Amino acid sequence: MKTQSKTAFLFLLPAFAFLIVFVVWPVLYSINLSFYDWNGITASRHFAGLGNWRSLLADEIFWRALRNNVAIVILSIAIQLPIAMGLAVLIHRGGRALKIFKVVYYFPMLMSTVAVGVLFKAVYDLQFGAINPMLEAIGLQQLALDWLGDARYSLYSVIAVICWQFIPFYMILFLARLVSIPSELREAAAIDGATGSQYFWRIELPLMRGIVGTAITLSLIGSLKYFDLIWVMTEGGPSHASELMATYMYKQAFSSFRMGYGSAIATAMFTIVMITALAAMAVGQRRRAEA
Amino acid sequence: MRTTHYCLALLLAGTLAGCGSTSPGSAERKAMTLWHHQTAGEGPHLIQQAVDRFKASHPNVDVEVVPINNDAYKTKIKVAVGAGNAPCIFPSWGGGTLLEYVKANQVVDLTSYMSKDNYRARFLDAAYTPITFDGKVYGVPIENTTLAVIFYNKAIFQKYKLSEPETYDDLLQTVRTLKQNGVAPFALANKPKWPGSMFFMYLVDRLAGPETFAKAAAHEGTSFEDPVFIEAGRRLQELVRAGAFQEGFNGLDFDPGGTRALMYSGKAAMELMGTWQLSTIKSENPTFYQNSLGFFPFPAIKEGKGNPRDIVGTVGDNFYVISSTCKSPDEAFALMQYMIDDTSVELRAKAGRVPPVKGFKTADPVLQQILQLVEQAPSVQLWYDQYLPPSVAEAHKDTSQALFALSMTPEQAAKTLEQAARENK
Repeated sequence: MKTQSKTAFLFLLPAFAFLIVFVVWPVLYSINLSFYDWNGITASRHFAGLGNWRSLLADEIFWRALRNNVAIVILSIAIQLPIAMGLAVLIHRGGRALKIFKVVYYFPMLMSTVAVGVLFKAVYDLQFGAINPMLEAIGLQQLALDWLGDARYSLYSVIAVICWQFIPFYMILFLARLVSIPSELREAAAIDGATGSQYFWRIELPLMRGIVGTAITLSLIGSLKYFDLIWVMTEGGPSHASELMATYMYKQAFSSFRMGYGSAIATAMFTIVMITALAAMAVGQRRRAEA
Repeated sequence: MRTTHYCLALLLAGTLAGCGSTSPGSAERKAMTLWHHQTAGEGPHLIQQAVDRFKASHPNVDVEVVPINNDAYKTKIKVAVGAGNAPCIFPSWGGGTLLEYVKANQVVDLTSYMSKDNYRARFLDAAYTPITFDGKVYGVPIENTTLAVIFYNKAIFQKYKLSEPETYDDLLQTVRTLKQNGVAPFALANKPKWPGSMFFMYLVDRLAGPETFAKAAAHEGTSFEDPVFIEAGRRLQELVRAGAFQEGFNGLDFDPGGTRALMYSGKAAMELMGTWQLSTIKSENPTFYQNSLGFFPFPAIKEGKGNPRDIVGTVGDNFYVISSTCKSPDEAFALMQYMIDDTSVELRAKAGRVPPVKGFKTADPVLQQILQLVEQAPSVQLWYDQYLPPSVAEAHKDTSQALFALSMTPEQAAKTLEQAARENK
């Protein structure tokens, strides 16, 4: 027994060391930095105490960013999961013949996020894109909005693309769980006169509680940390309409030369995600204990 | 110690090309990295030919050239400098950002290099303003002499019987005519925010001349809440409400050529942009360059006190500087000299650029016109986002974009900018 745990310890050590050096240490350092005023390039920085934190609490742009992140959380879960579930169920029921759908639907997930961003920027383009010229051609000019340039729509236009890219991920997740449900259950239900819809709502879905819980947690954390597509498509604009905590942090730290303040934003983000993740996991634990 | 402190920055910066080390054994091999953002048209070639000729005469020096897209470059270089990993040679627009690097001892003082053999007399005097601090020179003017002018499509103007507007009221009339005929008067790609700010800068200068901005930036005698800035903001929003810009302008990206596509396709008639774009258009669409492209200076505002010959731009747009972490500054300076030597000057002129050297003569009538505008300008206003310290520059870009979006009033924008300027004092 003793040699086994010693071997295990040695095998686990390198990854642990890596994480300590490249993740834990920078996080702690950032938390420390949030108490300083620093432009990121001079050797000297001066202690600012809670100055950055007071500014953060009063910073309208940060709170807007947080609200945008929450919007992504809500819309992602509300849109991505049901659609992914629907697709998974359909593909599962369709059997081998529908395998091609599974493959093709997965493509968005395989594409580089930057490529997706550039692609959809072109799609959303008002003069040369795919949407507006078509809407204008069929006489629906009123619907030809300024998707990325209008502060009212930019965030939601990007959320649409986020959904497009991540639905396949959840679809595969749900599909994997569906496949593991024994087919005898289906047969037994059919014998008892259950329709396909009743089978889904009363048998499959309850059995999928665990994976749905996982999906919600993943989506929650991912949405709070989100950066990629917003950065590529709108850079948080116009005028901070689609600003996220991560994009705001990046801009403050690296474009405005305010490393201390950027670190405060980063620390706030880390804390928010940490608390949310722990809460989600706690809820998940309790649910499983009850089940 | 410093490098470990930047773990986070290093992770984000990804591929950083730092100065290499000499390899043992061989005859003193040196290595340098050169970053640039001349990624369009003839740009990469202009740099590469100088590097090749330099390498021919300095066979023991390895030079790695890294081209990076303009907007990406602005962030990447700051991260690299902050991490102590800056390339040997990199371009800077001078002004506030360069001053930050100087204060942090991150760039080499080039005064002695420039005085050797009176090399500094090679360049236009006005070129030294954005790169001289405390009497010391920190860069070499290499890229264009550039100013912002209004490019226009001669064919479209002819079609609607328009002529080059001489006053701002004429310009508004031109805008109205074009709008009535279904042509977007101005192509504008304002997602990166700086293209739109050119309108703001010209409006301020035409209304009051360059002193108001200079005083506001120095916190002497006036502030960014000066009525001039508010009036400029008001006129800007008047332009937006008149529909002077194509739809979706605040979401359009500049670097991939969004506005050029609008100009080439005839969907927009004009664009207020730096004359460096001439070079890009010349190589991208020579037919358009030859047959349809014209330009005129930003018109005068009759009620304004500014001299209508003032220009917004820079002499020596893109000065190259040497990082203080560079292990071979002498060779780096020699390479920079190749980038603006007589051969390079000739090639740059052919590519449609106006090198910032004294006595530059050109047969190209377009370049000749630019040269004249620069030589006759009583004052050259450096772009605000390069002049101001970085966090104030960001606030300026943000408020400018907000004015375009009509999401802030001119008074709110002025107040926000002044607040940012005060916080940065």
